[in-house]
Amino acid sequence: MRDSDARDAAGGSYDELIADDGSPRDHARRLLDFFASMPAAELAASQLAVDRTIADMGISFTVYSDGDNIDRAWPLDVVPRAMPGSEWDHIEAGLKQRLQALNLFIDDLYNERRILADRVVPAEVIDSSKNYLAPCRGMRPAHGVWAHICGTDLVRGGDGTVYVLEDNLRVPSGVSYMLENRNVIKRVFPSLFRNHRIRPVDEYTTSLSAMLTSIAPASSDRNSPNIVVLTPGIYNSAYFEHSYLAQAMGAELVEGSDLLVDSDDCVYMRSVEGLRRVDAIYRRIDDVFIDPHEFRADSVLGVPGIMRAWRAGNVAIANAPGSGVADDKVVYSYVPDIVRYYLAEEPILANVPTWRCSDADALGYVLDHLPELVVKPANESGGYGMLIGPHSTAAEHDDFRRKLREDPRNYIAQPTLSLSTAPTCCDGLLEPRHLDLRPFVLQGEELSVTAGGLTRVAMRKGSLVVNSSQGGGSKDTWIIEDKR
Amino acid sequence: MLSRAAERVYWIGRYLERAENTARIVQQYSQLLLDMPADVGVSWAELVRIFGAADHFQLSGYDQSEDTVLDFLLADRASPVSLVWSIRRARDNLRNTRDLLPQEAWESVNELNHYAAEQLSGAARGDDRFETLSECIARCLQLNGAFDGTMSHEMPFRFLRLGQHLERADMTSRILDVAATYIQFNKPVARRYGSVLWTNILRSVSGFQMYRQYRQAEIVGRDVIDFLACDTGFPRAIARCLSRATYNAALLPRSSATRDVLDEATALLEDLPSLHPDADAVSARLDELQRRLGRAHQTLCDTWFLPTETQ
Repeated sequence: MRDSDARDAAGGSYDELIADDGSPRDHARRLLDFFASMPAAELAASQLAVDRTIADMGISFTVYSDGDNIDRAWPLDVVPRAMPGSEWDHIEAGLKQRLQALNLFIDDLYNERRILADRVVPAEVIDSSKNYLAPCRGMRPAHGVWAHICGTDLVRGGDGTVYVLEDNLRVPSGVSYMLENRNVIKRVFPSLFRNHRIRPVDEYTTSLSAMLTSIAPASSDRNSPNIVVLTPGIYNSAYFEHSYLAQAMGAELVEGSDLLVDSDDCVYMRSVEGLRRVDAIYRRIDDVFIDPHEFRADSVLGVPGIMRAWRAGNVAIANAPGSGVADDKVVYSYVPDIVRYYLAEEPILANVPTWRCSDADALGYVLDHLPELVVKPANESGGYGMLIGPHSTAAEHDDFRRKLREDPRNYIAQPTLSLSTAPTCCDGLLEPRHLDLRPFVLQGEELSVTAGGLTRVAMRKGSLVVNSSQGGGSKDTWIIEDKR
Repeated sequence: MLSRAAERVYWIGRYLERAENTARIVQQYSQLLLDMPADVGVSWAELVRIFGAADHFQLSGYDQSEDTVLDFLLADRASPVSLVWSIRRARDNLRNTRDLLPQEAWESVNELNHYAAEQLSGAARGDDRFETLSECIARCLQLNGAFDGTMSHEMPFRFLRLGQHLERADMTSRILDVAATYIQFNKPVARRYGSVLWTNILRSVSGFQMYRQYRQAEIVGRDVIDFLACDTGFPRAIARCLSRATYNAALLPRSSATRDVLDEATALLEDLPSLHPDADAVSARLDELQRRLGRAHQTLCDTWFLPTETQ
């Protein structure tokens, strides 16, 4: 989205901390009092303290266009985003329900394909998806779980409803920044923490390690399997996180060239002691790069033969190859039906209303209402190829009308949401800025959800773009205990 | 420890040592040329031979002027023997192994890299050459001090030291080799300036003071060769480097093949001084030593960096 397109959408937005009448919401009263009592100079000084702490702790991210300087300091706003525990409990239950259903769905797609036979999801949606990987057919990963780590994007609309925007089942990132945001804010405002009962987030790496242990092959030492984090290398934008998680779990951080698959179909790590068997791989590279024997032959990031080892049950891979099939936009529109189909329950969390353009009636509606809708291609991620109706020109609308008529099956449309806001420190003043929330959900033998997640905030006034590479910032996210 | 990490740390040891040696040699060589009459035939090209880069230099079509040679050895980013190249490689390897090495080492190597990139082209032309090279040496020493004093003396440290000592043994043997060959072909100069030449050879490895202190002999070829090849106390003597390399290798798993090759290399040193003044024999022996050092490098790569056997 271009900056000039960013209108001031704050008018119709829900504020996370402040009620419509301008008074603090109950759960945020003490937090807002703390910042309201702070003179502007002190607020600016505390933002500087946060920035300095981040530099000292070496918390960085990578921007590809930044030339030789590949490390940039992570942007963190001083004002936390808070949510009451009772509301979070509801969201947490919804996230668990959703991931459980999605895993049953993926397992079904690569095996019996019942949901397709029962015509709840049309078979052609799956068979035409480039994320449906034929080499995964017939696989039964441990506990029937394919997507072990999920980074669901949540947004709150103008009426206060929390919606799932995306499921992110491939290689979601951001969890290390969630953990570090908490560490920084604790250092800078220790007294604030003493006055609140805030749910801790720091057990995430322990849960991650336990989850990976629970999916390691039965043949490995289940007490201490050899777990590795597979990274594309230091030039990847999330390298800081890969290295952070490996260190926090005591796992080796490996690149493709550090691993090999031997004639016994087991994966080994090249170590100074010789070859060492690897039991579980937390991979942070995309499906198509993982094995040059099976997918992209030109991949230098992957490990030749790793799919063979995985299919033989000799190594666990998280997320399992092929999980991305449940991550495309058309499949997303069926998730409420998927939840009902497998769990016989109503979905706890709402989807953003979605028009599938393959449906003739829906297409007609979309073509008529283009200026007020967001149109997304089914199989792209990272915001590529999107149309944001209200922020686009008439020529762009016409261009999209043509694309939609030519290839309706490849598009979905959604209403333009006015993301919720929270007070944010901008040049020493508190102003509302739009934000989203990415909690992290783990499923292995058990299910767990981070308390809160990573809040990303659009630092430019009125902007809805929260990506850190485009001027987005972040906030520490507090789930405040409201039960006595 | 991952093989890839071990390999990178080993190369940090080698490149930092190479950088320090390069600075020392160029600094000393500049001094030597000031002592020599212009007609005796000691030239800047000799310096390129010490680095084993004569072919590369010639193929690049460079002339043998002071400016060109020094640019090639100090500031040329495309020359694999230049000081900026070594420092840059040390820095790149360190960047990839930051979690294993002290934080201050990462900061120091970055500063050194910036300093070298900014200052060395001026040093090649002669501006403040002595001071710039002294500063590079001092920063290398500081980095080694940080490793020694602030990182656990465990596996990564062993690989660092292994790289450092093999590189140092290699460099001292090259200097002796070039000296022997030079004296062979320039007998009249050697007769007249022999003591000056051997003094400068000692100085190029910062060995003059320690030689004086522990040998107290006059400066003659055989004794200098004995000191630089066989001394067990001087840190830049080949025998001392090999014994430190062997010590560090022995603390790593599966080290027997590497230690065997290092023992073979050490055995070549024993009667080396007695071959003097037969420069052909000295040179042939040093060539043999260098082949053995190359094999030691290959053996340790095969053992630790490209393992093919299970634990």
